[in-house]
Amino acid sequence: MEKDLMIHGKENMPLMEKLKILADAAKYDVSCSSSGVGRRGDGTGIGNTLSAGICHSFGADGRCISLLKILFTNECIYDCKYCINRKSNDVPRATFTPDEICELTIQFYRRNYIEGLFLSSGIVYSPTYTMELIYEAVHKLRTLYRFQGYIHVKAIPGADPQLIQRLGLLADRMSVNLELPTAEGLKRLAPNKHRKNILSPMRQIQQGITQNKNEIVVYKHAPSFVPAGQSTQMIVGATQESDYQVMMVAENLYKKFELKRVYYSAFVNVNQDRELPALPGGPPLLREHRLYQADWLLRFYGFEAGELLSEQKPNFNVLLDPKADWALRHLELFPVEINRADYRMILRVPGIGVKSAQRIVRARRNGNLNFEDLKRIGVTLKRALYFITCNGKMMYPTKMDEDYITRNLIDRKEKLPFDRDGMTYKQLSLFDDSEECLWKNII
Amino acid sequence: MEEYYLICEDSLEGIFTGIYDAYLKKKPHGQIHLSLGEDENYRLFAAYESCQPDEQKAARVAATIIREFGKETYLAICRALASEKPDKGEAVYKTVVTGLSMKDKRDIMGNLANPYIHRVFELARFTANEAHYHVEFLRFKELENKILYASMGPKNNVITFIVPHFADRLPLENFVIHDEVRNIFALHPARRDWYLVSGEEKDWRTEHTFSEGEKMYSELFSSFFHTIAIKERNNYGLQRNMLPIRYRRYMTEFQENSSI
Ligand code: SF4
Repeated sequence: MEKDLMIHGKENMPLMEKLKILADAAKYDVSCSSSGVGRRGDGTGIGNTLSAGICHSFGADGRCISLLKILFTNECIYDCKYCINRKSNDVPRATFTPDEICELTIQFYRRNYIEGLFLSSGIVYSPTYTMELIYEAVHKLRTLYRFQGYIHVKAIPGADPQLIQRLGLLADRMSVNLELPTAEGLKRLAPNKHRKNILSPMRQIQQGITQNKNEIVVYKHAPSFVPAGQSTQMIVGATQESDYQVMMVAENLYKKFELKRVYYSAFVNVNQDRELPALPGGPPLLREHRLYQADWLLRFYGFEAGELLSEQKPNFNVLLDPKADWALRHLELFPVEINRADYRMILRVPGIGVKSAQRIVRARRNGNLNFEDLKRIGVTLKRALYFITCNGKMMYPTKMDEDYITRNLIDRKEKLPFDRDGMTYKQLSLFDDSEECLWKNII
Repeated sequence: MEEYYLICEDSLEGIFTGIYDAYLKKKPHGQIHLSLGEDENYRLFAAYESCQPDEQKAARVAATIIREFGKETYLAICRALASEKPDKGEAVYKTVVTGLSMKDKRDIMGNLANPYIHRVFELARFTANEAHYHVEFLRFKELENKILYASMGPKNNVITFIVPHFADRLPLENFVIHDEVRNIFALHPARRDWYLVSGEEKDWRTEHTFSEGEKMYSELFSSFFHTIAIKERNNYGLQRNMLPIRYRRYMTEFQENSSI
């Protein structure tokens, strides 16, 4: 009885108001990707998915809008210090009904506004109870509404593992937020949460995915479990961890939990809580950006966190992207000969992205490449020229001197200081492959 | 040395026919060029000929491309030929010539050091990018009779590259996509195959009355769109990079009065 009241008390609130409240409350979750699974429609319902994902719009903050990102409810029994929905905040509260969620998803999807649904929730009554609500909505959307587009749901730490299992068979992606990089930070800022409770559903989902892959090998039509993999996010800048600590945690999550994505969320101080840093300069966006760049180096460029940072050098260079920074500290490995160096080494050259590296390896089979060819292929020569030779020659005679090259790499129009509005991330995204739209893939 | 200019119709069929005719000439390919429509600056010592699009010739060229270079390359060439750029015919023609002389013909598109192949690669990429933008940013509005209707104004002729995507995801919907620049419509009747018609055959624009739900959902989405941005992170430059201004006039969330 009491539970019912809690959930259905505000049912007559207009949908517009609910959507405002529950989208506003969900926006601090950074993940909005709809990638990781390609699935054609079966002709009997609505929707399909593309493995690269699709962004449908970009908000005023330049972040991709791919999914209808909402909370089921912003009621919450917990009191996490960084969260706008915490129990002790006096904010308007709202709760959707499962049908409202289904209708919004379908009607937005038909009009090509979105790729699908991202459903999270504050915690009502208990984690298990909350998961049941989410399950009900998602189940309805998949079965009654025959929705075959993308669904990302949060697994709520502490919820009944059976529910997580069942939900995993309906969702494409699941995520459990790590919230903060270290257990100490979590204890201080999210007193109701425990690291162990966060890691155990993460492990459960990982095992579910592995087991499901084996099942699919045997029974081709076995239902798939979280086919787009799992992700997580951590807030950076609310606690004192160094970039090195953050990257080590991320690397562990990739290696030991086989996560598809780790998201970094520059801390936005919404509650002005005394326990939290004031951040007069706004959220630490440049730091977040460097972390994403490094994250890419881990996932696509064959780097290890320990190559980029160390106890002695625990934070990223503000002025240089992590790849250029690494190259400058390893000048002894350069210049590399484009027509002979192996793919992995070419990938490490500043100014050469994944696609360019692949194209180089492919194109050089038809004869030696020169600088003009590299330019056509998409290499950013003004950055790469210090690190490469073509047929034994550098583009210009150049000193292999760290300070000299550093000055040349920094002294460009992308010059910092970072300006929150004037400067774009694209200019800042220093991987330089014109095709590789860093941010499109990140957010 | 005499130069030959073959003037082709701006279509897949027209340009493939041009390639066929170029081979018929049995002259060095360096002396033959494909061009689309009339050339403004006539060259004095050049011979101009116009090619009539011929279905059979075009089909033979298409078959050769698929057989020798594979389906992927064929698709890249189709994309390049959907481009708005007038040099596409020449680039494709010379790409075919170069490709046929390569040892590993299947690897033709990897040979980016060749300027013609690179140009085809680039044109194909422009089309693919623009098609992708439309997959992202196209917006349907629901008409009174529940038909979903979308307008777009693409630079390149992308319609055939995007309709299959929507047909797969919206199999039970009746939908229409209108390319305003070329005045062509793609029509998808529920549960059936889609097809193209040209604007002269049917003018859908006169029938626009939106459904009741249309006003409500376009307002809901516009509100969602504004709510979901984090104001502490505002970055209009980034937004502009990711979502070029020219798409916005077709997009619900950027329209002042979002429903009508
Ligand atoms: S559990 Fe914590 S982070 Fe989640 S909604 Fe409640 S207060 Fe916010």
